[in-house]
Amino acid sequence: VSDVTDPPAILSRPLVPIASEDDAVETCRAAFPHIAAAGGRPVVVHVIEKAGGAPDKASVEQRETAAESAFDAVRDCAAAYDLEVETEIHYGTDVAEAVLAAAADADASAVVFHPRGGSWLLDLLTGDVRDELLRRSDRPVVVLPDAEGEADR
Amino acid sequence: VSDEELAKDLGPLAALTIGVGTMIGAGIFVLPRTAISQAGSFAVVAFLLGGGIAILTAFSASELGTAMPKSGGAYYYVNHALGSMFGSVAGWANWLGLAFASAFYMVGFGQYIQQIFGLTGQLGVGPVAVDPVKAIALVGAVFFVAINYVGAKETGRLQNVIVAVLVGILTVFTIYGALRADPANLPPAAGFDDTMAVTGIVFVSYLGFVQITSVAEEIKNPGVNLPRAVIGSVVLVTVIYALVLVTMAAAVEQGFIQALPTERIAVVEVARLLLGPIGAIAMLLGGLLATASSANASILASSRINFAMGRDGIVSESLNEIHPRFATPYRAIAITGALIVVFIAAGTVETLAAMGSVLHLLIYALLNVALIVMREAKPADYDPDYTVPLYPVVPILGALTALGLIAFISPLVIGLSAVLVAGAIVWYFAYARTRTTKRGVLSDYVRKRGVDLPTAVDAATSAHPDGGDYRVMVPLANPEHERELIELASAVAKPRGGTVVATHIITVPDQTTLEAARGRADEIDETSKFLLDRAREDAETFGVEVETHTILSHRSYEEIFDAARTHDADLVVMGWNPGAHGAPGRAEGTIDELVHSLPCDMLVLKDRGFDPSRIVVPTAGGPDSELAAEVAALLLATRDAEVRVLHVADDVEAGEAFLEDWAARNGLEAAELVVRSGDVEAAIAAEAADATMLLIGATERGLLSRLVRGTLILDVVNEVDCSVLLAERKRERSLIERLFG
Repeated sequence: VSDVTDPPAILSRPLVPIASEDDAVETCRAAFPHIAAAGGRPVVVHVIEKAGGAPDKASVEQRETAAESAFDAVRDCAAAYDLEVETEIHYGTDVAEAVLAAAADADASAVVFHPRGGSWLLDLLTGDVRDELLRRSDRPVVVLPDAEGEADR
Repeated sequence: VSDEELAKDLGPLAALTIGVGTMIGAGIFVLPRTAISQAGSFAVVAFLLGGGIAILTAFSASELGTAMPKSGGAYYYVNHALGSMFGSVAGWANWLGLAFASAFYMVGFGQYIQQIFGLTGQLGVGPVAVDPVKAIALVGAVFFVAINYVGAKETGRLQNVIVAVLVGILTVFTIYGALRADPANLPPAAGFDDTMAVTGIVFVSYLGFVQITSVAEEIKNPGVNLPRAVIGSVVLVTVIYALVLVTMAAAVEQGFIQALPTERIAVVEVARLLLGPIGAIAMLLGGLLATASSANASILASSRINFAMGRDGIVSESLNEIHPRFATPYRAIAITGALIVVFIAAGTVETLAAMGSVLHLLIYALLNVALIVMREAKPADYDPDYTVPLYPVVPILGALTALGLIAFISPLVIGLSAVLVAGAIVWYFAYARTRTTKRGVLSDYVRKRGVDLPTAVDAATSAHPDGGDYRVMVPLANPEHERELIELASAVAKPRGGTVVATHIITVPDQTTLEAARGRADEIDETSKFLLDRAREDAETFGVEVETHTILSHRSYEEIFDAARTHDADLVVMGWNPGAHGAPGRAEGTIDELVHSLPCDMLVLKDRGFDPSRIVVPTAGGPDSELAAEVAALLLATRDAEVRVLHVADDVEAGEAFLEDWAARNGLEAAELVVRSGDVEAAIAAEAADATMLLIGATERGLLSRLVRGTLILDVVNEVDCSVLLAERKRERSLIERLFG
């Protein structure tokens, strides 16, 4: 992937990580209008964080179920913008790393996400995926503002 | 690395650690004083007995775990085998039992903190006085619940380190103790009743191994690693407990432990005597780590049980919501935390320990019964990699000893547990019964192995007491070919006034892949309803009567044939793709055996769109071709199909004579007859070039069996562009034919 990709091509095959159903709704609302306008085919991924050799904080099956309901929200949103969307579940001990690996697998044109905000305390507790993505990505990263009309809410 | 490998990331050591880390806790760091005071030198016997009872259940848990590596462990097996009422009892007992045990661990934690900081007397403001141990226990409980609520994945790894440290501390302690041991120090042995009563209390030290099964879905190669971890952890902790107890009894003088002031911890004081201050410090540190890790692991395990209960509809699914930020089952953890806090506030150390023990003993008894039911009922999908030794002696002994031990626990605790069990049963009838979707293997077994849920039977059909009814069964696996299969089945059934029996065979937990285990829920899930509703609608569009059935817990062609027999099917119409009906990989011999005696006629559609407008029927005679002709004649009459019958012969004249005769006998006078010479497959391919469907009898015996195994050599089927319908006649082979055919 070249660094001088034209802006429209950046959204040709964007990889969109989502964290939860709520996050999926917000992210898709923010991202899909842009992706649809660019005629892109988004890949939406959810990473199930693994403890890597210790019991996880929640059952894998439980989180897979949660991911599927988030993907349902994604597909609903995609249908509204007439987008063809792929969804994938990935597993990894490091969420940012897993997202970037998924982007490489999908040969994504960019990683597109919508930051969830959050205080330093939350970052400390949950790990700062946002900054990790920005810092370590080997392809363009698009950080989207809230969907139009939502910003002033 | 595949996703599946990433999802299953618990190695053998990590799995062992879960068991050992949960078990080595307050039991050995808090209870030796009670044990030695009450049972004397038989305190060792009490711990050994506890280990003996635990190991019997560990065998059963291992077998069930390898057969069903699902989240939820013991609860899941009981619910699966014995049905939702016992499932409700096991689920609640497991959940509350873990909460009681966690409360007990936290009180132990409180004792250690109190010891370290030398807090004595009462903490209090004015008239409100609080025991410092309880106060610390409450704070500790809130702290560990908070950790699980937020979900720090580091705690899991820390657990491994903690277990190593604990085993190290206890080993050094035992070695030093052994050097000073003197049989003369041994206190007198207690009687049977006292020893058993102590066993009941210390059994709280043996709750951890079952928690391994509750994370079974995350274990790598569970067939091997799960039994090793479950059985290994019980053996390991039993040996450690016994050695520690022998040390404590034999290394210090008689009466030393009883003479300690109550706020002193026996293990710490013995360590101080043996190893000096360093020993006491190590023991204090060990006690802190052990009680904390036991509580942490128990809170984690209880959330898995909540999840499994919610999945089966025994508690509200909303309990299982994942926190959007922390990705933890925060509601379940918060409720478990509240229970722990209440239990700490209300109970004494012994009561908490005994409650945890009794509730778990109950689960262990049910677990052993579940194993016996699974073994006796032998559902098709029950295929454990590990099997208990000496069946049925081991599970029967396991169940009896677990229940027997309960009898020695204080009546108050038994009474309280009985109330909780009654509550769980009331809960089942008042809440869960209407919501749960699951039927136990036991009830299926009792109902004479009928594993079939008629979701709907048309009034017309039910009023039809069967007999002359022509029944066409359609096993559906995925929505993709549903319409085509139903249309074909309807086309055959309608002229005969028959019924289409649409069945959805749901594959159940399949240890081979995580995907399968997840996607194929073992309940009548949405997919099934969706698929069968569509099948029903479609069949009604074609104007035939329809029945729909969901068949649980099956995974192979075997089930299709079984279902065909159960439903008195005269014809089975199924899709081609061998993978579509469940995981392949059954023993080839079994499939051969099955298809060598077909229970009914079979039509297998390689679907490229169901369009019977131009049909080619190649024939060389034989019963299978006659079935093909029968279907072609039906389609010709009802769908205005254009039928061309093809015969390949070197002697064209003789071929024509044969074909005319054959067509006349099979009701295909209206068909176009074509005789070609040369290569059979080339001729078929040429004729099929402009056809919409190739309807071909399985001219060789066992063609279907080769199809099932994916080794069909009839290349033409893959070369043509149209749909292919393979017909094979019902056939009962005699024993002699089976031997020599």
